[in-house]
Amino acid sequence: MELFKKYPKLFQWIFLLIVFFALCFAIDVPETYKFIRGQAEFVKDPNQSTFVFLGKEVRYYAFDVFWRLPPLLGWLPIWINDSLFFLMNDWMPMEFWNEDTQEYKTRPLVLQITRNLTAFMTFLIELIREILLGGLETIVAFTSWDWIDANPWAELPGLPWTIVAAGSAILAYKLGGRGLAIFAGLAMTYISIFGQWKPSMQTLSFILVAAPLSFIFGLSLGIAAFKSKRVEKALYPILLVMQTMPQYAVLVPALVLFGVGDHAAVIITMIVAVPPMILLTLLGLRAVPPEVIEAGRMSGCNNWQLMFKVLIPTARRDILIGVNQVIMVCFSMAVISAFIGAKGLGFNLLLALNQLNIGLALEAGLCISLIAILLDKMSLAWANKQVDYFGNLNFFQRNKNSLFFGLIMIVGIALAYFGSIYFKEYNYLFEVPHNKGISTADFWNKGVDWIFDTFFVYIKAFNTWLIVEVLQPMRALYLRMPAIATIVLVVGAGYLIGGIRSALVVCGLTLFIALSPWWDRALVTTYMATFGVIVSCIIGFTVGTLCFQNKHSTKFMLNVCDIFQTFPSFVYLIPVMMLFGITDTSVLIAVIVYATIPATRYTIEGLRSVPSGLHDAATMSGVTKFQRLFKIEFPLAFPHMMLGLNQTIVFALFMVIIGAFIGTEDLGQYILKALSDKKGAGIGLTLGICVAFIGLIFDNLIRTWVDKRKKHLGID
Amino acid sequence: MENYKSNFKELPEPIKQFGGLIGIMIIIFITFFVLNKMFGEGDELVAKMKIEEERIAQERKLNKLISSLPSGILVSFDGTDHFKLSDELYEAVCKATKLIPQRAIMGANFLNFRAHEIYTINGNKIDETFVKWDKEKNKCFAGFVVSGNNVGVDETISVSGEALSFLSTGIDTRVYFIKNF
Repeated sequence: MELFKKYPKLFQWIFLLIVFFALCFAIDVPETYKFIRGQAEFVKDPNQSTFVFLGKEVRYYAFDVFWRLPPLLGWLPIWINDSLFFLMNDWMPMEFWNEDTQEYKTRPLVLQITRNLTAFMTFLIELIREILLGGLETIVAFTSWDWIDANPWAELPGLPWTIVAAGSAILAYKLGGRGLAIFAGLAMTYISIFGQWKPSMQTLSFILVAAPLSFIFGLSLGIAAFKSKRVEKALYPILLVMQTMPQYAVLVPALVLFGVGDHAAVIITMIVAVPPMILLTLLGLRAVPPEVIEAGRMSGCNNWQLMFKVLIPTARRDILIGVNQVIMVCFSMAVISAFIGAKGLGFNLLLALNQLNIGLALEAGLCISLIAILLDKMSLAWANKQVDYFGNLNFFQRNKNSLFFGLIMIVGIALAYFGSIYFKEYNYLFEVPHNKGISTADFWNKGVDWIFDTFFVYIKAFNTWLIVEVLQPMRALYLRMPAIATIVLVVGAGYLIGGIRSALVVCGLTLFIALSPWWDRALVTTYMATFGVIVSCIIGFTVGTLCFQNKHSTKFMLNVCDIFQTFPSFVYLIPVMMLFGITDTSVLIAVIVYATIPATRYTIEGLRSVPSGLHDAATMSGVTKFQRLFKIEFPLAFPHMMLGLNQTIVFALFMVIIGAFIGTEDLGQYILKALSDKKGAGIGLTLGICVAFIGLIFDNLIRTWVDKRKKHLGID
Repeated sequence: MENYKSNFKELPEPIKQFGGLIGIMIIIFITFFVLNKMFGEGDELVAKMKIEEERIAQERKLNKLISSLPSGILVSFDGTDHFKLSDELYEAVCKATKLIPQRAIMGANFLNFRAHEIYTINGNKIDETFVKWDKEKNKCFAGFVVSGNNVGVDETISVSGEALSFLSTGIDTRVYFIKNF
């Protein structure tokens, strides 16, 4: 009894675990249960039970409910599909003027809106693409094919790669100084001479449309949420779900609404990129000190002036970090949206991975990463750049970058002209064609073959050991959990951590997954993510703690994390496929590498957040380094490290879903299948929500615990 | 009631929390019991699935048998150069056959003028086909149903007869000749 009074929480947790395990052992696996006969298979089988809800028939295998809940939400994907179909084909038919046929045509309203939207997006993408690469579609849009035939001079010529490369270097110099300028110049030159110029510019044109539009929407919604509590409350659940929703899942319904191609990709990218922009705008505006607002009011600002002359300039840094986030999401989406026909490096990367041409994939992946790092550094430099309001500069000093750029334009055009005379077949000073640049693909492919030939035995042994001894038993354990035991464990944990409110939230989220037709698949996703998170946390916490012991290693490790974080998630699949081929091991290693980044970063930042006064106090008290770490730094940094765990879980979930490309059997695989299914929109969206909810369950539990712990420690 | 309430409020916080945890678990158990009453189908499903699994096993066995047959025409009678089915094989092939191609239908229609008329008028549409093993007669029967409007009259005609020969494609078997006279 004394022990119970001393450690009540511990006893409650032990009780919860005892009940959980008792349920696991008490409920037998039904004789008819087979994983392959998952509820989600949607095959017609005479053994299935059926129920009808909202006019939709749902088929399912009815087990003992304690083992698996019936998919009472099975109607949801069907209902979403039917609703989308109705919206796109039947709802509000109207007469619209058709320019091509010069007559009115009846079309449903939503279809007309989406088609207009896609036409507008296509125009913007084409415009930027033709400025960068040349073409005539934009001119034709304003004139006609006959006119362009009569005036061939009007065709947009495109910019020589030398001008774009030098222009980026000048911009990088203006924002971040000499180092960034050299990096920009080298990155652009590399992209050009390796023959990746055209796909890179296609990707860039896609980002140059998606990023500004996401910025405008995100900023506007962020301001609206800042101004109105109602808007904020309405946006909150969407933002929450979007943070943990796999980007893949958004592709499927968008495919139905907007079709296939770059335009659809831009719209999807905006959907994914707007939430972080809203959050950072809101964060920035909220952080503006009340004195600044008061000063604005005292100066006689009206609401408009207060927002645009006072609040936004003060919150500039957070807003620009939002821009940075938008750019990063755009890059990540540039690859993923290749699944729905977006052109550019992402498409090349996907194609190369599909053909298992690791060398080509590596080249495309390297180009994406280089552009991503460059834009990341440039946008961060922009965010951190201080505006010099008092500089007494002359005309040349004020406009030197523009003058340099003008000069470079002239030199670039001259070089391109010279190139057109000097080079017979291709003008390498204008653009290096895709298959005419230097290629290291063969070298890498031979390297992969060599690795396979040399280490095949060891790799295979490791693979077999991992799959047979670790992964399969772990997977079996997860699938062996009866539904009631899982729900008792999750809801009980929610109650013990955050009280009845938290218990209800996690109960709702878990029930959604349990009542969907994909509970088994969700368990597989969770098992893969759990494995990745455990290993990532062990590596991340250890590396973070070790690096923290020295300030140079800390700085180095944070830089490494920065760079790794800018790589689009798909890029991580390349090296693992090189080594481990198409297996679960590849996916899990990609998960581990990807998810180790936040674990390491948050460990270092958590340890850094411990006040230096406490370090001194500890040293003065004569504690050893080891004691200081375990008695002071870890307990204080633990809440921050737990936030890292939260991020690690989200990263791991994202990568597990992307791993479906290699061939897992989890929710991601079904999302991938839904992409090629005509009726896949509802399934894709529901699956995406399931994945988002898995993330949100952990997010809720961890955040609640962190808040309580911080309060307990008096940190917050 | 008031007394219980005040007594509960006076309990120490850990005990209250423990009570809450047990309460939540009880609610979950009760909910699952209710749902199990409504949707649980444990034992019946086991029985149903066992029957289904037996059916699948039987079908696999038949498929294996069919893939071992030579490609071409299989007959159940003597006097031709085609592969002659033994009694056992005849029964197995009958049970495994599901398709009746147009050739066999046209042949049967040849002797049933009204069926032929409806079949032609309604764009060669067949409502239903069937292949059955008749245990009593030890024979395989195949047939089809045609229906449609014949000069203002809705008619449904069922044509059936003994399936005397089959066509083996190497993948499946089809009825080759229906003797409906």
